[in-house]
Amino acid sequence: MNELELKKLWQTANEKLEKTLADNRINSNEISQLKVYHFISSMKPIKLFTLLAGIIWVGLGTIILSHTYLYAFSEMNKFFFFSASVQVILTAIALFIYVYQLITIYQVDISEPVLKTQIKLSNLKISTLWVTRILFLQLPVWTTFWWNEVMFQEWNAFQWLITGSVTLAFLFVAIWLFFNIKFENRDKKWFKLIFNGKEWTPLIKSMELLEQLDEYSVDIRPETNAST
Amino acid sequence: MNEKERKQHFQNIIEQHKGILYKVARAYCPNEEDRQDLIQEIMIQVWQSIHRYNNQFKISTWFYRISLNVAISFYRKSTTRANKYTMLSEQTTQIPIEDKTADEIQLNLLEQFISELKEIDKGLMILYLEDKSHAEIAEILGMSISNVGTKIGRIKNRLKTQFLQLNS
Repeated sequence: MNELELKKLWQTANEKLEKTLADNRINSNEISQLKVYHFISSMKPIKLFTLLAGIIWVGLGTIILSHTYLYAFSEMNKFFFFSASVQVILTAIALFIYVYQLITIYQVDISEPVLKTQIKLSNLKISTLWVTRILFLQLPVWTTFWWNEVMFQEWNAFQWLITGSVTLAFLFVAIWLFFNIKFENRDKKWFKLIFNGKEWTPLIKSMELLEQLDEYSVDIRPETNAST
Repeated sequence: MNEKERKQHFQNIIEQHKGILYKVARAYCPNEEDRQDLIQEIMIQVWQSIHRYNNQFKISTWFYRISLNVAISFYRKSTTRANKYTMLSEQTTQIPIEDKTADEIQLNLLEQFISELKEIDKGLMILYLEDKSHAEIAEILGMSISNVGTKIGRIKNRLKTQFLQLNS
């Protein structure tokens, strides 16, 4: 099948479409009635709920920890205070990055050239990996919440060996994941295990798309304005 | 442009380019339900971007860019259709399947081969089959004219091989 035959074949679809569409006026009026179309409306309820829960968690955590620091610091368990503070700060950073990315993605001008826009969108989507990396950094502090001064006075070596090993293991895993969760490792088994699930589909597909875009990006040209 | 003029302008654009809308949707979405969502999403994005349009670009270039960008982004989140969509009437997105002629069978095959292409290649091929010049394709996709030619050549060869294999 040569070039002309291919295009001729495609034109038969046009004729058929024209015939069908002539009888069907699209209800574009419906769309123009949309008053406010905010990015929040495009989020799935579960994501919205997670975001709200995160904001409430960080908000309440900040209030409680600040209050404790100001008025009851001397009486409180310092291990709990330190662990909770690290947890709240890391969650706040992850939330900030997540919301910033959502807004930036929403603001991308989709009437720009396709390759440029898709590279921008895919990179933004992939940068949500930062959220995961930061959240994993919290791992060790979940093992130190309950530490207290009595442990240092009464515990024997075996008890410390167990507790210390768990905390060190969590610390190692957290730091290792922080440095290794990145686009370049997308084909590793452990990576696929972590990002296995429907909620990660957009991220994984962004990576696939970026691979496709690599084939094109060698000569992405600067935008020209001479097309009228 | 006041609200009334904006609506009128939007309706005219959609009316003039609805062929593109359907063809992009057919190429990027295998099932009817997704197709309806994609068409609606493209229309929403056109409506929202209308104030950004400047006449240094052809309106069709602008419309193709939005349609392809939305279709490719739709692929990225294809398993997570949001609830914001209202159903467009089935009638508006379906092409009746009548008794198939040889041409129609060939056309179905062509559409199937195109739907199997990678996302960017798919867009490139639609533009090529729509008889857009290499310069215009380069403008829509944002790549060099020479690379457009190279990529089209490769995809065409692939399609030809697929047709040949089937016919033999």
